[in-house]
Amino acid sequence: MSKITKIPIGPFHIGLEEPIYFKIDIEGESVKNVDMINGFVHRGIEYLAMQKNFFQNLILTERVCSLCSNNHPFTYVMAVEKIANIKPTKRALYLRVVADEVKRVASHMFNLSMLAHLVGFHTLMTQTMEAREIVQDIKESIWGNRMDMSANTLTGVKYDVDKEQIDYILKRLKELEPQVDEIMDVYFNNKIVKARTKGVGVLPYEDALRLGVTGPTARGSGVMNDVRIKAPYAAYDELKPKIIIEKDGDVYSRTKVRWREVKDSIRLIRLALKNLPQGKVVLQKRPHIPAGEAVSRSEAPRGELIYYLKTNGLQKPERMRWRVPTYMNWESLRVMIPGNKLTDVAVIFNSIDPCISCTER
Amino acid sequence: MSGFLKIAIRNLLKGPVTDPYPFGKTFIPEKLRGKLKVDASICTACGTCQEVCPSGAIYIKKENDVYVHTTWYNTCCFCGNCEFFCPTGAIKLTNDFHTANTKEEKFKFVTIAAISEKECPVCGNKFVPATLPLIEKSYPHINDEIKNLMKLCPECRKKAAFERLYQ
Repeated sequence: MSKITKIPIGPFHIGLEEPIYFKIDIEGESVKNVDMINGFVHRGIEYLAMQKNFFQNLILTERVCSLCSNNHPFTYVMAVEKIANIKPTKRALYLRVVADEVKRVASHMFNLSMLAHLVGFHTLMTQTMEAREIVQDIKESIWGNRMDMSANTLTGVKYDVDKEQIDYILKRLKELEPQVDEIMDVYFNNKIVKARTKGVGVLPYEDALRLGVTGPTARGSGVMNDVRIKAPYAAYDELKPKIIIEKDGDVYSRTKVRWREVKDSIRLIRLALKNLPQGKVVLQKRPHIPAGEAVSRSEAPRGELIYYLKTNGLQKPERMRWRVPTYMNWESLRVMIPGNKLTDVAVIFNSIDPCISCTER
Repeated sequence: MSGFLKIAIRNLLKGPVTDPYPFGKTFIPEKLRGKLKVDASICTACGTCQEVCPSGAIYIKKENDVYVHTTWYNTCCFCGNCEFFCPTGAIKLTNDFHTANTKEEKFKFVTIAAISEKECPVCGNKFVPATLPLIEKSYPHINDEIKNLMKLCPECRKKAAFERLYQ
């Protein structure tokens, strides 16, 4: 007769990257049931956003999450521009895509190195982080900060690139690409990584549809819902990102999706810099924002990010709310975790690329 | 596994990748967003930076004839909003990232710029005049007439500009 043991993991645990509380029922070595409790990093940013004006919110939304810090202001400015009916120049849209894709490469590589850390392959983790450092150098040299790039502003972007800076980005990407190819090969074919990720944390196609998961979590289960392709925004209708899908729905296929997206993002950065149109980068530094409401969405590294904004003609938003990808993705943990070993819980949790700080804000 | 062995051997030959900072050189990009530099001769104390600063690190206060522009680094998040929205270009972010300070220095760790008021040569009232970089944005060709009008206070300038039309 087997006995069910209850094991708590978190909210502050060495195996978890972010605070979330798992209540796990195990029988023998396999997990029978899992319950998740959240609310440990609530900072009240939604209320704070209503106390700050539109220009302060450019920075506040960036501070919601560090790894998708470019997507939050990006989606926010799209919502404001929709209300004010402003169309930024082509050059500004292309530069927004460049900033976004650079962030996507850095975010995916961070998550993948965390995967290597959790499966116990630490040399691979340091190597991935070392390759990611090239992207961090690009961010620091072009935007001035390693994480918060402060690239977007209302009606355009805050930065402009000249010939020298374009050459610098391309030079560093040339350095990065062979390293990515090399490390990617280790992730795809290494025995240790494969043993810990293949067939672990399976999310079947039907469940992925039922739970409405987004981003690489959905694409790893064969659900194609890339906002960049389904509802192109900024310059994505011209740049055309590749459709990247894996069918198996386990941690391994989500890893594969992320690596292939890194490769595709590098291609998109090159393409955007090559076809960079001429023109102004910002139309009007401080535009008038009329009363109105708007919804905008974009593809963050973790999935679909939706912003709702309501204004009343004043300098501050009347209501701002956002739905982040992790909110949709973490319900899928209830499907992924049961049936796996206790040691795999952290690996599976990491595979949805959780961002608890933007979910609870 | 052989794939990783190749990387490991190459890394051994390459040596350490970390910089021996502060004993040696390190990578500091030109555009790094660090401490502010406020040029008091260009600033007009308009208060735009105070309005757009998301963390409330910038504070402008009038003391007698001088506007004191204070940036408190323990609140500053180095976002660069002030630099971007500054209409005159008086605020520039330098690439000085040395922001470690002791607890005693907490309230002294600031950048201060003093913008003094000028006296109007006609009526003697004190005011902050518009600076050249600001005027350059509004007028494509700046002649001596505009430069002379800049020295006057708003009231006297109105008068002078109006009289110019009818004389």
